[in-house]
Amino acid sequence: MIHRIAQSAVILRRIKPPGGVVVTPCYSIWKKNVPHQFDRTPKNAQTTTTTGIRWHGGSAVGADAPTIQVTFIHPNGTDRSVVDARIGETLLQTAHRHDIDLEGACEGVCACSTCHLILPSAMYDNLPEPSEDEEDMLDMAFGLQETSRLGCQITVTPEMDGVELRMPAATRNFYVDGHKPKPH
Amino acid sequence: MATSFGSCRLQRYWRWGAVLRPKHDQQPLRLAAATTTSASVNVVLIRTLTRKVAIVGSGPSGCYTAKYLRAAWDKNKEDGEIDVIERLPTPYGLVRYGVAPDHPEVKNVQNDFDALFEKEGINYYGNVQVGRDVSIASLREIYDAVVLATGCQSDRRLGLEGEKNYSNILSAREFVAWYNGHPDFVHIGEKVQAALGGPIDEDKVRDGVSVVVVGHGNVALDCARVLAKGGKGLYDTDIASHVLQVLGNGVAHVSIVGRRGHIQGAFTIKEVRELVNLQEEGFAVSFVVREEELDMGATKDSLEELESAAGRPKQRINKLLRSAAAKKLDDNQPKRVDLRFLLSPSSWEPSADDPSRIEALVCERTRLEGHACAQRAVGTGEFERIPAHLALLSIGYKADPMPGLENHFDFERYTVRNERGRVERPLDGRLGGLYVAGWLKRGPSGIIGTNIPDAKETVASILDDLGSLEKWNEREVDLLSLLQEKGIQALDWGAYRRIDEKEKMHKRAENQPREKITDMKELIKTALHSSA
Repeated sequence: MIHRIAQSAVILRRIKPPGGVVVTPCYSIWKKNVPHQFDRTPKNAQTTTTTGIRWHGGSAVGADAPTIQVTFIHPNGTDRSVVDARIGETLLQTAHRHDIDLEGACEGVCACSTCHLILPSAMYDNLPEPSEDEEDMLDMAFGLQETSRLGCQITVTPEMDGVELRMPAATRNFYVDGHKPKPH
Repeated sequence: MATSFGSCRLQRYWRWGAVLRPKHDQQPLRLAAATTTSASVNVVLIRTLTRKVAIVGSGPSGCYTAKYLRAAWDKNKEDGEIDVIERLPTPYGLVRYGVAPDHPEVKNVQNDFDALFEKEGINYYGNVQVGRDVSIASLREIYDAVVLATGCQSDRRLGLEGEKNYSNILSAREFVAWYNGHPDFVHIGEKVQAALGGPIDEDKVRDGVSVVVVGHGNVALDCARVLAKGGKGLYDTDIASHVLQVLGNGVAHVSIVGRRGHIQGAFTIKEVRELVNLQEEGFAVSFVVREEELDMGATKDSLEELESAAGRPKQRINKLLRSAAAKKLDDNQPKRVDLRFLLSPSSWEPSADDPSRIEALVCERTRLEGHACAQRAVGTGEFERIPAHLALLSIGYKADPMPGLENHFDFERYTVRNERGRVERPLDGRLGGLYVAGWLKRGPSGIIGTNIPDAKETVASILDDLGSLEKWNEREVDLLSLLQEKGIQALDWGAYRRIDEKEKMHKRAENQPREKITDMKELIKTALHSSA
């Protein structure tokens, strides 16, 4: 009987226990052993209210929008992600679309400083001045530089093609940036 | 089929798998094996021991720790269980009970944290108090790493004579928790109402009522702003309904006092700007800053602070306050907020009619001495009396050690002694596997985002240690069975979602994000969906 189960095993995910042996769980058969305590209802969509409270920053720009190329330099200073940015979206949206680890704690409404990016001077000088709100938030940004801006407040334009955007080095820890822990 | 499970124990998280491999290949390791005697195939039913990490506290520090631990494991193609244990039925700590009701966009971070429990498979155990329902020692039996991210449950006090006995001196922490609907602070409303002169119509300003707020941080400014706006000015927010008849349409006079100058102020510019803009936004509140106090605070060394590397935020605040001070005061507004500097609280003046209450705070005028970034307030011998029906102390939150952690506590900084998040002294004779994050680790300072590098550092320490563990916990029980044994009803994520949905349904105003449930029994009843 086990032989037959083994033959019909569906490989869904490979996990790696510390010993190094690769084992392949058969989720399709034994799924009930993995408890799901969380409710999968999608979070409520929120819209702007008449009081002007900002809920989400920037509407999504469609996939058919023209694109340019930008480079995100990761906090460790060496890793680079060269990605396409859609004209009209914000740099924070670009980063999130490509799963780049740029935090956007307030969801892009200029209420925090976690999407802080350091721009090349030429790009910085050519952008319109930051709003008072953005300046207030930048005051609290970690590792603030002369050419710092909030990613959620910059809209992608064709002139930005080829720019390199630096993500501030908020941490000197390598482990959360892909380094493998020492083998035991 | 012959099965032999040896010394393994049934555990909640089994992973069953079948591996086809040559019969002679005997890799033992940490596997409980059942083998068949099939001719060419050695089929192994295995149980893997999963890494388990517990995070005590679901505020920003706990949630960011969970987030980055999961992210690091994903990046390294590793796996593990993360259990977040929270004392209250609802998660998110000060994001829910600290952030001011008129700052709803700051609370957007909750959506990011929701994803941890809804998509990333992190487990939530609400209504479980570590220290009372389950001990840290038992957690360390179950988990490879336990992270304490419990924040601060207490306050710094001025320690002036009689302070503990006066009924109208409260901490800002209590006041904030009360207006944010924290179930443990509902009783504060009675004290506030008594201090301010009894219940009042929601539309009426509390004329002739003064409140003094001691402290120069954002919490002090939040308290002042909420007192000035009143329940009426915050009707469309998630401020608790029980505030409406206590604050009415705001109090007539709020004074914010602190002993150093405006350049040393711990507040950030956004909160100062909100006070400046109250009048133009229609809240009928004038905002007063005294030019002479700004001048007194502009010592040579303080001006040096403005020019320093960290000076940019202070320069902008200085400019804003100077322009506010230069504006002509509009005396026609029914309400007024004074932001005072260089006044050090010296003594409480008891009320003549009722010595159990204060009627004023007497402050000593100070001047600044010392080097830039280390300016101290020194008394000048001149005193000023500030009348007050209610006093709020906003001079710092404070952590108290959890039972058993007294030897690990730094009683000067009110933190658990740690090295990059790792508790380096043994607890109950056992060293290792214990970590801290957030205010318990670095002291009560910073904003929500400050917990990002903080959590990353703690996670790095955890990963370092897990990587070098010789043997993982051989777990006999898991948290859920431990709690069930003791009769503790833990609330899972689904239970919290029921509270969340109900709060969003029963709102007093359409524009409210939610109407918070403030009664503990009702919170639990809603979570369990019981009709009891």
